[in-house]
Amino acid sequence: MSGAAPHLRLEGLTRHYGGAPAPAVDAVSLDLPRGALLALLGPSGCGKTTTLRMIAGLERPDGGRILVGGQDVTALPPHRRQMGVVFQSYALFPHMTAAGNAAFGLEMRGLGRAERARRAQAALEMVGLGALAGRRPRQLSGGQQQRVALARALAIEPELLLLDEPLSALDAKLREGVRDEIRALQQRLGTTTVFVTHDQTEALAMADLVAVMDAGRVEQLAPPEEIFERPATRFVATFVGRAARLAGRLEPGGVFRCGGGLALRSASGLAPGPAEAFLRPHRVRLLAPAEAPPPGFDNLLDATLARRTYTGEVIALETETAAGPVMAELHAGTDEAWRGLAPGAPLRLAFRAADLAVFPAP
Amino acid sequence: MIGWLLAAPALAVLALAFLWPMAGLFRISLNRTTETGAMETALTTESYGKLLGDEFIRELVWNTLVLAGSSAAIAVALALPVALMVRAASPRWRGPLALMAIAPLLVSGTARLIGWMAILGDNGLINALLMGLGLRETPWPLINNWTGVRIGLVESLMPYAVLVLIAGLGRLDPRLEEAAATLGAGRVRTFFRVTLPLAAPALLAAWLLALVLGISAFITPRLMGGGRVFVLATEIYDQALEYVNWPAASALAMLLLGGLVLLMLLRAAVAKFAGGRA
Repeated sequence: MSGAAPHLRLEGLTRHYGGAPAPAVDAVSLDLPRGALLALLGPSGCGKTTTLRMIAGLERPDGGRILVGGQDVTALPPHRRQMGVVFQSYALFPHMTAAGNAAFGLEMRGLGRAERARRAQAALEMVGLGALAGRRPRQLSGGQQQRVALARALAIEPELLLLDEPLSALDAKLREGVRDEIRALQQRLGTTTVFVTHDQTEALAMADLVAVMDAGRVEQLAPPEEIFERPATRFVATFVGRAARLAGRLEPGGVFRCGGGLALRSASGLAPGPAEAFLRPHRVRLLAPAEAPPPGFDNLLDATLARRTYTGEVIALETETAAGPVMAELHAGTDEAWRGLAPGAPLRLAFRAADLAVFPAP
Repeated sequence: MIGWLLAAPALAVLALAFLWPMAGLFRISLNRTTETGAMETALTTESYGKLLGDEFIRELVWNTLVLAGSSAAIAVALALPVALMVRAASPRWRGPLALMAIAPLLVSGTARLIGWMAILGDNGLINALLMGLGLRETPWPLINNWTGVRIGLVESLMPYAVLVLIAGLGRLDPRLEEAAATLGAGRVRTFFRVTLPLAAPALLAAWLLALVLGISAFITPRLMGGGRVFVLATEIYDQALEYVNWPAASALAMLLLGGLVLLMLLRAAVAKFAGGRA
């Protein structure tokens, strides 16, 4: 994945709608290696769909360039870009059968009738819909329509596959299965893919690279684990996953001074000043009354249990500390200690310096 | 219940001003015209029989259908780009544009036709221009003939066609055209393979409405035809007021009404079909 030239490169891509105070997409730059799946993740209105539409050629950028395989496609109209797009609403042609939909792109490429029928059928079989080729979109379920849309986009053997919230219209139960199928298919075909979603679980589970976007800008571009474990900005820390937020000051040497004069160690190299620290619940270790913290767990906090929420697999704990509220969690299957815990119980919490993510106060 | 109560005044007016005269008209159509041309009270379908057997009336029906059908088709063809433009416009401009497209309805039909006469007449704008530029020696006959009537009809039917098409195309998802583009279809192919087939029910509905209005049009054939164009509506007028043959005029009016009702039912069926597809 490294070393080779990027398959997709965005250079300072910008889109500013008339009348809007701020650009919808603001100087987005990123590289995507061949065969990788990139998730554009962010809240609604963050510019992720606009970015996807510009890659597809459906929207004209006000600035910047789009390069595919080193070629500048910024000025190309959508029908000359070789992009397979799956729309959020699927946008299947209602007057054509599933086979007709899948064959449409091949017909536009001037393929003969027999050849395009064969390849459309192959595309439908690839998504498990070979038997329903003769159905019209309105005779198909939502999940089946989604597969036809995917088959239609893949039938043209696109340069890039672009998916705009392809799972959002599906039932929650169906979503996970389809998600894994899309990922498996994408990996098998090796199609470079850009995927827009507001669902962080989807992004983390499917992507090779996640670009977290906010207010038109890419806040962080990194593999899923890095996004989750080492958020680069305050926005990423709050948007992805759950985290306790502690207000305080950063002092020289990475010392985070918070409520009650408490000093916590962090690995932060930021300049001293007002700061906020974020701590994810799964990084917090509960210590037994006389238990010494494991090696590396430099930070110790005395806490009082405020609330315990049983969610089946995980017991979520909300605690009060001198530094503020801190969340922790226990696993119902392996941590037996939670059974005795009731609100008001005193707790000792330990965590590593590296687990405290510190950012300048906004 | 409350709905009926609120509608009662309007229904009363309709009954008094429409149903009652229609019933009277139907009654007259069953009367007999004597050799001398006087009307004699009777209960006979003689007038209908005469009309259906009359070569001239059959030609009139054909002429009327051809005129209204072709005018409606031209009006719909011209209205389609307008409706597509309104659809493509930003939401801010959609309202004003749609209003502009139907603005001709705010001007009296007679006033508009007199305007056309000034443009199309032998000494009108177009002929003055053509002859002034030396492109023609004699005036191009654009009025007092079928061409003039057709021009007037197309212009008066267009706003209705635009209205029906705007409503019909509003249900067409623009993502479908975008999907076609990403699959390699240029603008022209996208139009013929996606936009046009999906707009077909709206086009048919618009054509049927324009057809009905075109068949029943009277002022346009009368004024633009200059007394040389004969259609069903002008014939009813002539039978009633020129030949004072009331039974014949009434019977013709009844036949026209029956035909129009059938067309309106067809239009409603098309609209329902189109609605179910969206």
